[in-house]
This record gives sequence, structure tokens and C-alpha cells, in this order.
Amino acid sequence: MMIGKTTSVCPVCLSRIPAGKVVGEDGNIYMEKRCFEHGEFRTLIWEGDLESYRAWASMDAGGKVLPVRAVEVEKGCPYDCGLCQSHERDGCCVLLELTNRCNLRCPVCFASAGEQKPKDLTLEEIGRQYDLLMERGGPFNIQLSGGEPTMRDDLPEIIALGKSKGFTFFQLNTNGVRLAEEAGYAEKLAKGGVSVVFLQFDGLDDEIYRTLRGRPLLSVKRKAIENCREAGLPVVLVPTVAPGVNDHSLGEILRFALERMPHIRGVHIQPISYFGRCGLEAPAMRLTIPRMLRIIEEQTHGLMKSGDFGGGGAESPYCSFHASYMRKADGSMKALPRRRSQCCCVKSSDARDFVSQQWSGKAAYADGDEATSALDAFLQQAVDNTFTVSGMLFQDAWNLDLDRLKRCYICEVDTDLGMVPFCAYNLTDINGRALYRR
Amino acid sequence: MAEKNYYTVDPLGKLMCMKCRVPLEKGKAKFLYLDNGFPVELPVCPRCGFVYVPEELALGKVQAVERALEDK
Repeated sequence: MMIGKTTSVCPVCLSRIPAGKVVGEDGNIYMEKRCFEHGEFRTLIWEGDLESYRAWASMDAGGKVLPVRAVEVEKGCPYDCGLCQSHERDGCCVLLELTNRCNLRCPVCFASAGEQKPKDLTLEEIGRQYDLLMERGGPFNIQLSGGEPTMRDDLPEIIALGKSKGFTFFQLNTNGVRLAEEAGYAEKLAKGGVSVVFLQFDGLDDEIYRTLRGRPLLSVKRKAIENCREAGLPVVLVPTVAPGVNDHSLGEILRFALERMPHIRGVHIQPISYFGRCGLEAPAMRLTIPRMLRIIEEQTHGLMKSGDFGGGGAESPYCSFHASYMRKADGSMKALPRRRSQCCCVKSSDARDFVSQQWSGKAAYADGDEATSALDAFLQQAVDNTFTVSGMLFQDAWNLDLDRLKRCYICEVDTDLGMVPFCAYNLTDINGRALYRR
Repeated sequence: MAEKNYYTVDPLGKLMCMKCRVPLEKGKAKFLYLDNGFPVELPVCPRCGFVYVPEELALGKVQAVERALEDK
């Protein structure tokens, strides 16, 4: 039964083609599409019934926030990204790919790091990217990314440059190797202005790291977390979840993080997408939002429940899920009411404050004024006892839905192209050919 | 209806209690909200006990505390 229409691309030639959303014989929701040249494709997009699929969008804020200084539409979505005039969001979190070098060679890497000629952006180029972002609606939340950004020695200078141009929030996306191995490095980054470390953390078993990262890394991850704790650098664990590899480990990861509150601020889950360098075959049954929530509920033995979670309000609700919890004095976790604008990253100033507060662990209004220090202490305690679980489902050539892409908030900055939505920038065809990434 | 004013600011920037016509002094006050009390120091009228809460405090920190207590 057809329940909706959208537009997608052919996984073979990346031509834009119409797509239908249908209820399959098993009751789940699928995307079906047909390229006249390359045939028919069918991908699971929702492992749940139609009612749950529709209910998930009930928190959708809808509406449009047009990009600042949008580029003209020539070929149409997804070929004019920059952002273009038909994009429906103005951007929020922006990835700066500071280098394509990496100290790992993961079998799974959306950036296919290490395959190109080594290239670091110069400070001058980074400055131009900051300027471009300010001209297009900044300041945005900045993600220092790569490659592996800690391959560079000048992250404090890069942050100082960003601060001088008006940016305030700097997230470091890292595998944690240097944080673990170099004494004093975490402290250097904390002093240098890193707001939070998003640490790739796929589980508590080295077999998982061998499969996804090419070598055992658990002791490295533990050491990186310990060094960040000592340096007062907040950490969010970021597992890439692949079916059959570590989808059994989410409960363990969540418990590991909860035991280390408030220094570990939360867990941000990324179900695997089949783009870039991906040594895993796209399976018939993908990890969709309902499956992820069932896994979380089962593996935490009900400490966290499916019903605690909501979809994005600003980005498409079908791109993300999140819940916030308050730890009570008796150790139990109370789900906080779902917020319309809460997500891992959004632009409106309220939500940006929320994001900054939640991930950095610093109460937004605490100002150190002695006269009102009792209020500061209470606010800090509230933040220290709040824990966030979120997830984002990136799209690939199999399930790309241009209605979702048009609402994307997370952009890669490119000095020539401008701001390119993450899932367009990283889109590759079945032979690994990229639409945008160079 | 015009907004009610409880205090004035003299040319030197000092806060005055409108009712008692005396300068406010820094003193102890307490925010009470949903069974929680937060001792603070704010300008208080030494005669009638009126407490001046700056707007940025009311709309900033105090509102954030209320939100946290109400799980908003």
C-alpha cells in the first residue's frame, strides 16, 4: 500500500528519481524507487507499523527557515547544494574538515580518510571558512572534524581564530587516540577552548573495534576518557552502530556512560550508513529508528523506554531521536518532557543554548556572581544530573529522501561550494563515486 | 494602566524605595519556589523589606531555575 511520495536518487547513477513510501507485507515501511536504466530498489525505512510511523512526526515543528545568502537553483536538489534557495533550513552545526589525515584506517569511514593526498586546511583557509559562515547566518556551532582533527598541532589557534570571529561553541570529533597517548594533551585542548569531545566509542569489546576500526582500541578509549575527566573536558560517547557487529552493545555503552556522569554528558548514536568507505554490505534489514528504540529499552532493562524518545522538531523528525533524563537522588532516571526544538544541534538561540549547556556541562545562566551563588549551584546540579541520549540516522544512496535532505541542519563547509548538507556532501554511489566530496 | 513602579534610581544610580523614600541596601533575601529556597543577596528596602530583582536576573537565572524545577 502506497502511503506517500518523495524523491530520491538511483544508487547506481545518482540520477534524481521519484520514490514511493509503501507498507510492506510485513507491516513495515519501505522506500521503493525505479531508475529506468538501473532497475528497481527497495529499502526498509521504518521497522514499525504505519500508525507509529505517522505518530513519530507529531512533534514536527514544520515551517521553513530559509538560508541566508542562498545560491540559485539550477539543476535542483541534491545537485545545487551550497545551501540553495530551495533548502528549508538555515544551518546550525557546521563541520570544518581541518585535515584528511588520520591515525587510524577504519574499514568504515564516511570521509574515506587516508585515501587522498594528505591535505590540511591552512589557518588562512579556515579563516575564510569562518568568514563565509558568518556571512551566511553564523555563528553556528562548530564541529572540528576531519580526517582526524587531532593530527594537527594548532587546534587552540584554530579555536582562538573562531572566537575572534564570533563563534562560541567548538565540538571536537575524534577517535581519542592522541587524547589517550599524549600526556597533557587533553588539558591543552581544555585550555584551548574545546567545548566538548565527541568521542568515537563503539562498544566495550575489542572485537567490535577490530571490525569497525581495524584494531583493538578499548584501552585507548578508556584512557582518553580518563584523561578528559582529569582535564575537565566533557565527553559525549558516539557509537557507530552496525547490525550484527555492535547492536547488542548499546545497553552496555549506556550503562558505562551513566556510571561516569556528569563528566560523560550523554551518548550520541549513529546507526551505520552505507556511504564513503564502508566495508560492510547494506543488509536487507537496516537499523531504523523504531529498532534502535526497542534495542535501547531492551538492553537497559526498561531504565530508558521507547516512549521517552521523540524525533527532531527542526530537522526532519525521521532523521533523529532523542531523550533527556534527570538522575534522581535514588539513582533512578526520570525522562524529561520532550522538547520541540531539542536536538543534537539546532540554530534558534534557545535551542543553541540548550545544546551548548547540555554538551558542555556548564549551566548557561550561571555567572559566578556571589550574591546569587545558590541559584548557580542549583543550576549546575541540574545540569550535572541531566543525561542525554540522541541519535542521528544519516542517509545514503539507498534511502535518500530529498524531503528530509531539504531540512538538513548539519552542513559541511566547503570554501568553494559554501555550506553543503552532510548527507549530500557524503553521498556516494554504489561504486564509491561522490557527488560532492573531493 | 501604567506599569507600577516600586523604586526609583537617583542620579548617582542608587536604587530608592518609592514607598519609603529610602535607599535600598544590599541584604539577604530568599527565593522560594516549589518547596525549594535559594538564599541570595539583593538590594532590599531596610524599612519595608521590598526586594529589587533585576530584570536580567528574573529572566535569566531565576527563570532557568524555575524551568529546571518544573522540568520544562
